[in-house]
Amino acid sequence: MSNSNVKSDYLRGLKDGVPIGLGYIPLAIACGIATSKAGIPFLLSQLMEILIYSGSGLTAAITLFKGGETVVIMYALAILVANCRYMIFSMSLAQRLDPSMNLIERILVGALNTDEVFGVVIKEKGYIKFKYFLGVATMPFVCFALGNALGSFTTDLLPDFISSALGIIIYAMFIALIVPSAKESKPIFVVVAIALIISIIFECIPAVTQFLSAGWIVILCAIITSAIGALLFPVEEKEEV
Amino acid sequence: MSVQSLIYAILAMGVVMLVLRVIPILFKKKIKNKFFNSFLAYIPYAVLTSMIFPEVFSSTSGVVSASIGVVAAVILSYFGQSLLVVSLSSALVVFVVEQIMRLYL
Repeated sequence: MSNSNVKSDYLRGLKDGVPIGLGYIPLAIACGIATSKAGIPFLLSQLMEILIYSGSGLTAAITLFKGGETVVIMYALAILVANCRYMIFSMSLAQRLDPSMNLIERILVGALNTDEVFGVVIKEKGYIKFKYFLGVATMPFVCFALGNALGSFTTDLLPDFISSALGIIIYAMFIALIVPSAKESKPIFVVVAIALIISIIFECIPAVTQFLSAGWIVILCAIITSAIGALLFPVEEKEEV
Repeated sequence: MSVQSLIYAILAMGVVMLVLRVIPILFKKKIKNKFFNSFLAYIPYAVLTSMIFPEVFSSTSGVVSASIGVVAAVILSYFGQSLLVVSLSSALVVFVVEQIMRLYL
């Protein structure tokens, strides 16, 4: 592979990662504000942000800390429960990564993966190259770290009209990831429709929203939907969906 | 909680996250089971859809602006616009709708 190709893979990824980065800014600022309000020192807040690097994980950690939890193992358990979905993302990713990736590259892919990065890179045709992944993951990581730092030093959120407009960016990006595939493939269209119906049903059952966190509802809905999809429309080997 | 035990807690959480994210990626062996492969192929679409709804409707300051933003995103992506164009346009639409509502309602 030529150098220019390597470069363009990274740049192409960088561009695809911009909406994720922008969408993370209000989220990261909110996390920074929450950690500083909880009394976590700035450097530890940054360390926590980088090591956990997941909105749901950080929320779980901050909630425990504010509640005065002192047992270290409880923090580890909370993170485990809040982020089980990453195992499924990583399993799905593992099937699609460029087989020539070395150990360090694979570890980096795992460490820099998020729900949103996963949603973008998995749409690559064929194998996902390391440079492309790194490109996509760059802006989200930088924006999350900067947003968190900014939030730690401000006492107030972004102006309402800005955080409101930024708030929809990630969801609009998800829609842009789904619609073209659903338009071209009937199985994907049906899978999206089933996920939508199950999501709405879950939302209407008070017991579900009361006892399960948003992360668990998403993973439960996704597992049921994908299992139905796999039964209705089995994918042939090497076939692209 | 002391700063020292907070550091331990942060490190423990970091290790758990790394294990969850990295271990499944280290397995290079391809999965042969047809059902499981199909399941993994549909996971992204199922996850994305269930992450959008219903959360998107509380992502802006009101259900009306969010719904119009969603419609804008669906139309633009149906006509093949890029991720960046779709997401920034949708944010712009939300911004404009909220300004109009502020002025006239």
